[in-house]
Amino acid sequence: MYRKQSAATFAVVMVLVLTAFAADETTRKEFHFKVGHRASVSIINQYGPISVKPGPGKHVVVNAILHSNKVEIDQSKSGNRVSVFSHLLEGADAETGQVDYEVQVPADASVTLHSATGPLHVEKLHGDVILEGNTAVVDVRDLSAGHVHIKTLNGAVTLTNVSDGHVEITSVSGDVALNAVSGSLVHVNSSSGKIHYDGEFGEAGDYSLTSHSGDIEAIAPAYASIEVVARSVQGKVENDFPLQPEHTSFVARAGSAFAGTMGKAASSVKLLSFSGKIHLKKR
Amino acid sequence: MTCEEFERVLQELGASHGIEQEAHLKSCSACSDLVSDLNAISQQARLLQASEEPSPWVWNSIELALRQDGLIHGSQRERASTFAPLLNWKLRWLVPLAAAFLVAFGVLMHERGTGQPPLSGTETARLQPGEAAMPSDDQQLLNTVGARMPSMRAAYETNLRSVNAYIRDAEQSAHSDPNDEVAQQYLMNAYEQRAMVYEMALDRSLP
Repeated sequence: MYRKQSAATFAVVMVLVLTAFAADETTRKEFHFKVGHRASVSIINQYGPISVKPGPGKHVVVNAILHSNKVEIDQSKSGNRVSVFSHLLEGADAETGQVDYEVQVPADASVTLHSATGPLHVEKLHGDVILEGNTAVVDVRDLSAGHVHIKTLNGAVTLTNVSDGHVEITSVSGDVALNAVSGSLVHVNSSSGKIHYDGEFGEAGDYSLTSHSGDIEAIAPAYASIEVVARSVQGKVENDFPLQPEHTSFVARAGSAFAGTMGKAASSVKLLSFSGKIHLKKR
Repeated sequence: MTCEEFERVLQELGASHGIEQEAHLKSCSACSDLVSDLNAISQQARLLQASEEPSPWVWNSIELALRQDGLIHGSQRERASTFAPLLNWKLRWLVPLAAAFLVAFGVLMHERGTGQPPLSGTETARLQPGEAAMPSDDQQLLNTVGARMPSMRAAYETNLRSVNAYIRDAEQSAHSDPNDEVAQQYLMNAYEQRAMVYEMALDRSLP
């Protein structure tokens, strides 16, 4: 009699414990996709980080950690296009709906990542990269030959060693840092976020760093070959370089606008802020 | 009698003037104007009723405004002690003047506080009075975001206000000089930002 009661009690306790664990159970899942040349990979994950790195061969490997059973992963492959989608179930929130992704793709694949919270990380790819995050911190490094498009509301954006492509970044209030970034087109559009550029303004590119109230700091070497215009309507403008004057309709004003060329003026550089400070620094 | 001597004697004799002072007043227009002004202020000050005594809020506001403008520094006690030796002299002759001046200044500060021009784009966004100032389509957008992603609503609202401030400043700049290419670029960038915010908010790919 006593043994039966103890067993029953133990069973009830075990059921309760297992139920509790099941409610918050994290799940690990892995998906493999065989793709061809220049595959397209899309990951949409409202809550949680996404990290993309190159992998061997022509495979897309997706490793996902689901933080609860209130989220499931929908995945599909159509030809050379792979889509992975975190499907939030009823009652999911930022914690229970979180999925952590680690993805390996062929280096020539184009990648599209959407996440509200992020962070988003991409490295060592040659294809196009499209990243969109509301508050997600974005970190991109060692890309070449692809187009990079990044949009955030207030997530900070950092690009390191990105070259030979187009770079277009739009962030309302996230700070943007570009380190060793060059290409035929590098455009940053910020509202209140700061913009920091440290590079060579190379490759005969079109560089445009513009903000509403965010400060802009551009650091370039003494041998930079640029045609530069800089203007702040209400902020202060500083320049460390001796610029050659050029014939232009742009009106220079001491302390608020300057224009000129350096070297052979291979690249065009625009530094424009409505009320932020602008400083073109010599490295 | 010099002007300095006259002012010193003026302090001692008050409204009554001796023969020497009268003679100086007739020959010195500066001292004559001073006495006229003091008499006028004194007459006006007598008309001030006790109920018109400014509330402590007025004095605090005046002090705050003067500190913000960098006209006064240090603590109130330091200021009081620094000027303590002068107060006795000023008390006698300039209390009515000071009262009239400070009342007028307080009224001016109060009006200035409601009609202050915008400082900069970002600060304009912060200073916009009342949450209801956002356009209706922005409100609808925020309601949509709130329904789909409640935790993101605040972020969208903050950023949308920042973008709207950008648009206001850019429009003003472009309007003041329609031929300014830089002003046009500001405007394009501002609208691009707004379009991006809308696009992100309404992105149906996110649940």
